[in-house]
Amino acid sequence: MANSNLPRRIIKETQRLLSEPAPGISASPSEDNMRYFNVMILGPTQSPYEGGVFKLELFLPEEYPMAAPKVRFLTKIYHPNIDKLGRICLDILKDKWSPALQIRTVLLSIQALLSAPNPDDPLSENIAKHWKTNEAEAVETAKEWTRLYASGA
Amino acid sequence: MGVSWSNNNRRRRRRNTYFHPHPHPPHLPPPYYYPPPLLPPPPQGYFITSTNPSASTSTTTSYVGPPPQYYPNGYTANSVMLHQQPLYANEGGSEIHASPPPYIDHQTTKKIRNDVNLHKHTLRLYVDTNNPDHHLISFDFDALYDGSITIFYLAKEEEKCRFIPLFPDMFEPITFPFQKGAGQKFCQPSGTGIDLGFFELDDLSRPSPGEDVFPLVICAETNSSVLGASPHMQITQAVLEKSNSIGPFQVKVVRQILWIDDVRYELRELYGIGSSETPDFDDNDLGKECVICMTELKDTAVLPCRHMCMCSECAKALRFQSNKCPICRQPIEELIEIKINNGNQ
Ligand SMILES: [Zn+2]
Ligand SMILES: [Zn+2]
Repeated sequence: MANSNLPRRIIKETQRLLSEPAPGISASPSEDNMRYFNVMILGPTQSPYEGGVFKLELFLPEEYPMAAPKVRFLTKIYHPNIDKLGRICLDILKDKWSPALQIRTVLLSIQALLSAPNPDDPLSENIAKHWKTNEAEAVETAKEWTRLYASGA
Repeated sequence: MGVSWSNNNRRRRRRNTYFHPHPHPPHLPPPYYYPPPLLPPPPQGYFITSTNPSASTSTTTSYVGPPPQYYPNGYTANSVMLHQQPLYANEGGSEIHASPPPYIDHQTTKKIRNDVNLHKHTLRLYVDTNNPDHHLISFDFDALYDGSITIFYLAKEEEKCRFIPLFPDMFEPITFPFQKGAGQKFCQPSGTGIDLGFFELDDLSRPSPGEDVFPLVICAETNSSVLGASPHMQITQAVLEKSNSIGPFQVKVVRQILWIDDVRYELRELYGIGSSETPDFDDNDLGKECVICMTELKDTAVLPCRHMCMCSECAKALRFQSNKCPICRQPIEELIEIKINNGNQ
């Protein structure tokens, strides 16, 4: 019913996400709301998040693709561009959104953000400060959190 | 004749894969992943050379800007069919609308036939074997009437599509007559070339900021003495590049201009038009689909960036949203709808 007039673009994107998933990323729509996706991103190798399985939620607003999807981490993560509530500081989710971007490209961007934390454009002031003053220690904390909260169990 | 330009075949193939999902995991410039060629430079060409020029026709509709705050300077563009290929041309003298332009401006398509045409993909610069410090040019062209070709280096465009060299001491413009005929090859005679060693590579590799001076300008015109025919002139403007400052020069045509009956038409290629597809797409549909609805065929190009990426419905909707090109995010000044139907006419 709510899904009956789902734009064809969303159907196509969903099909492609399921049939050709991007490496380290899975996204599947919820059964009762095809605009709501359960997402899992594997922590990239060589990053403090390696070995972790991070759950996210992604929602396509009514205006999508004119407006960006709404994405949030559900798994706790220690990252300067992700806050306590799982909100993500990523320009393509805000002013740099383009309707030519897709769910897939958004998730790949988030995966890339895990590989390259950017403390100069922080969402979590404290974590960013930690990152800048003592990166080695911040990375250790991120690894620890990955073990604690993202072990995938 | 022992002309060597073997390395010059590195023609840049246009590939409209910029919105295409990247098949590989990202090892990307941090911190964000963009689909790799999201921000391609606009192509340096104009129209697609069709092997069967009579097979396609195009009609063009322009949408000229809605919310007036976006468009302090609405302008009109004349649409041109040249060899009946889909392309557009801007007339030189832009008009400024006194009042905000209407949302949809249906413009009639004007057919322009040019009597002389240099095939820009064939333009080459090569060393004069008898005179190794000097470079010569060659290209293929068609001409419906007799005429002449004039070669300029670092020439500035003046009023009425006339060109003057900035450094006439280095190279005096040189003119060669030609006779009418299709599929001709022009090879500049040995000994008439230019010593490019006098110029900085930087000056040769780009036009002046205002795009009025180009390193290489070739002006092909038909004779005005032909009864009943107005002189037609086609100007080809190119830059000369060397990869890593070594090796042979590569000629890159940036623009062609038609000067017909005192009207200047600028020809540039649309980026993302169907026939430029490459077979290495993993899903061919994607190249033709509107990037927004992923359902309708692309039929609308964005100006000034020339990305052909949307269907007309999505394009209209986008104007009320971000008003930025989905591919490169440049502000949209104008949208042009292009219908291509393959039939006779
Ligand atoms: Zn569309
Ligand atoms: Zn663009």
